[in-house]
Amino acid sequence: MTGPAITVNNLTFNYGNLKVIDGMTLEIANGTSYGLLGPNGAGKTTLIRLMVGLLKPTSGSILCLGKPPTRAIAENIGYMPQLPALYSEISVEQNIDFFARIYGMKDRKARSERVKDIIKVVDLWDKRKTQIINLSGGMKQRVSLACAIVHQPPLIFLDEPTVGLDPELRVHFWEYFTNLTKAGHTLVISSHTFDDAAHCQQLAFLRTGRVVGQGSPAALRAATGDKDASLEDAFLYFIRQDEERKDVR
Amino acid sequence: MSGNTFTIAQRVILQVVRDRRTIALIIVAPLIIASIAGFSIPDKTSLDAFSPAILATLILFFGFLITGISFLRERTQGTLERLLASPISKMDVVAGYLLGLLGFALLQTLIMFFYMVYVLDINYSGNLWEILVFQALMGINAVCLGTFFSAFARNEFQMIQFIPLIIIPQIFVSGLFIPVDQLPVVLEWVSKFLPLTYGVEGIRAMMLQGQSLLDIGKDIWILVAYAAGLLILASLTLRQKS
Repeated sequence: MTGPAITVNNLTFNYGNLKVIDGMTLEIANGTSYGLLGPNGAGKTTLIRLMVGLLKPTSGSILCLGKPPTRAIAENIGYMPQLPALYSEISVEQNIDFFARIYGMKDRKARSERVKDIIKVVDLWDKRKTQIINLSGGMKQRVSLACAIVHQPPLIFLDEPTVGLDPELRVHFWEYFTNLTKAGHTLVISSHTFDDAAHCQQLAFLRTGRVVGQGSPAALRAATGDKDASLEDAFLYFIRQDEERKDVR
Repeated sequence: MSGNTFTIAQRVILQVVRDRRTIALIIVAPLIIASIAGFSIPDKTSLDAFSPAILATLILFFGFLITGISFLRERTQGTLERLLASPISKMDVVAGYLLGLLGFALLQTLIMFFYMVYVLDINYSGNLWEILVFQALMGINAVCLGTFFSAFARNEFQMIQFIPLIIIPQIFVSGLFIPVDQLPVVLEWVSKFLPLTYGVEGIRAMMLQGQSLLDIGKDIWILVAYAAGLLILASLTLRQKS
């Protein structure tokens, strides 16, 4: 598809009197990995839930793949929530197969092949018959990822996908995410770690429901004017800039 | 009802079947209750009179409990959020649960029914299949009621508290212990709005007087209307609370 994968225009979202998303505007290009970086309470999860259609904006608009995020385009979206969100009593294979079915993979043979493939990709072949309740936290994360991408959607939302993973598994996840973007998938990944942020092609720094800076990691670092600046320095730089703008207002 | 309804139902059944302890409890719990009822009511005539109402009450009780907890877990473990972000409809989710859990509710009815007939030796009239159809209708009401009220609980403790609020009052005013027309006027009116009243009335007419499903049309239509209303309300409550 031509045009951006996601367009967010002047988006606001309130929980009661609390403004959780405060006039965000973003554009996410097709086939990129886009990181939403910010501390807890910055609005990362709420923004993702708005983009997958779980919440309705208070004002402003969101277009995913050129359309508002409704059930009509849900088959083209993959969503990995923050919690593993799996059925504990059934096996790895049964969980992935269930999500493949509800995402429209009706052909039994093709689905079975795809489920086997994705189990191998997340390196859980030996555990495919194991009930979720008997898996470690990292294994559950891998199953959760498999459930989100089994139907090979062009647009994938991953809410804190690397939380609780050991360093080796984190590297493995990022290798896989990079392969997905190379294959043309668009990834929107929320995180609060700078290690994750460094892997993304594009980033948005979020704070109290607002975008305080966006661009490639290199461009964000360069904006500080310090050639040795880290992403952490860049984040603090944009926060200071935002504070100064607020003081002026 | 779409293919997705069956996909959900199949998963719900698989979940229960893979949990052996739950399966054991589904089988043992009705046997224990039926035994206690049988031994605590030694008078044969009274037991014959009470048994149909016990069947209707217990399907409502167990159906409400198992659905309420299952749905609550779907909400709290995040899988409901995942389902709501997928292409399936809210009605598919509720109808899938209904289909999946109804089988277990009917299994409990069958266990209790055969235990009461062959072990406790109660007398009954009417056709078994008609009794099962009527119990299925009660089961549908129980599942919808459980789904609907699970939206108002944040954890299992709160869900359990709905039993004394939603189920036990119905037991007292449904005619199980005291005929509805002998209740105080206010409670008699309250009973007219509760599904168990029609469940007890209907199953008693079938098992004690040998009436057919056609003979108890009023009870059936009220229970169908109740189930339809609850089904719509249950699917409306499926927005994820944040």
